Amino acid sequence: MSVLTDFSTWLAASPLPPLVTSHDWLVPAIQVVHILSIAAVVIASVHINLRALNVIERDVALGDVADRFLPVLWAALGVLALTGVLLIASEPNRAIFRYVFWVKLVLATLAALATAGQPRFALSGGAQGAAAVSSGQKVLAVLALVLWALTIYAGRWIAYADPWAGAPS
Amino acid sequence: MSIETIAQGLADTSLATTLTDSSWLFGAVESIHVLALTLVLGSITLVDLRLIGIGPSRGSAEQVLHRLLPFTLGGFVLAAITGSVLIFANPIGYSKNFFFAAKFSLLALAGINALVFHIFFQRRLVDGASLAPRISGGVSLALWVSIIATARWIGYTI
Repeated sequence: MSVLTDFSTWLAASPLPPLVTSHDWLVPAIQVVHILSIAAVVIASVHINLRALNVIERDVALGDVADRFLPVLWAALGVLALTGVLLIASEPNRAIFRYVFWVKLVLATLAALATAGQPRFALSGGAQGAAAVSSGQKVLAVLALVLWALTIYAGRWIAYADPWAGAPS
Repeated sequence: MSIETIAQGLADTSLATTLTDSSWLFGAVESIHVLALTLVLGSITLVDLRLIGIGPSRGSAEQVLHRLLPFTLGGFVLAAITGSVLIFANPIGYSKNFFFAAKFSLLALAGINALVFHIFFQRRLVDGASLAPRISGGVSLALWVSIIATARWIGYTI
């Protein structure tokens, strides 16, 4: 884990930590932007995956729903990554030395891939009709929504988890 | 009955003891609260953006409103239930916290704004040029961002 230790040492010595901790209100403000972005990810994923489950917007093709909401998903994930880096910089020895942080990143990656993969799935399955969705897509949609819920759970858990043994204090 | 008496009454319940004794229960309920509020916030934001005339939603403002209302209401009920449970973890602290009071005041304003929209402006949605629904959407967006901000500040000031 020396790579992580080196990274946190480098980050701690960079101009970012003094910048984000220069005002008491800055870290909570960044967290607010982080939460707003999570809401954007959730509602975009809900649209794409519930369309695949034939719950909403059944009168339009899944590809059309994905075309409108995938840009929202990617933009929000970009803001989450940026605000996430700033939050890590506020406490370089905290999140990255907790297992649940890495679990969250893996869950978020899988959830994003499962959500973004929906329209591709539709093309390869030949289900391009307005309401037609394959059973494989439905399984993928449920999986994606569960993965997003678990991502939020893991994210909140960073605040309560202990660092792993040997982590810098 | 004063706020202090109510807070003390809540603090003396077995739920309060269970929450403070458990190492995982508060975080678990809080996670569901976050999930619920993202549903409320996400669905309301899409409706507000549609009222303003922008955003990714398809169809008329009325259609978007009806499509997303189950998510707003479902998320709100879940957030209200989990939020009520979370209060038991530190009722006396919350009762004295400025941002806790501010959050609920803003929630009340958001409710009034939604009610005013429903009673007076919703019928004007067919008139695309009407300014009232746009103002209502803008006010709602500002209120909900403020609700999230005050809620986040509770954790830093309690």
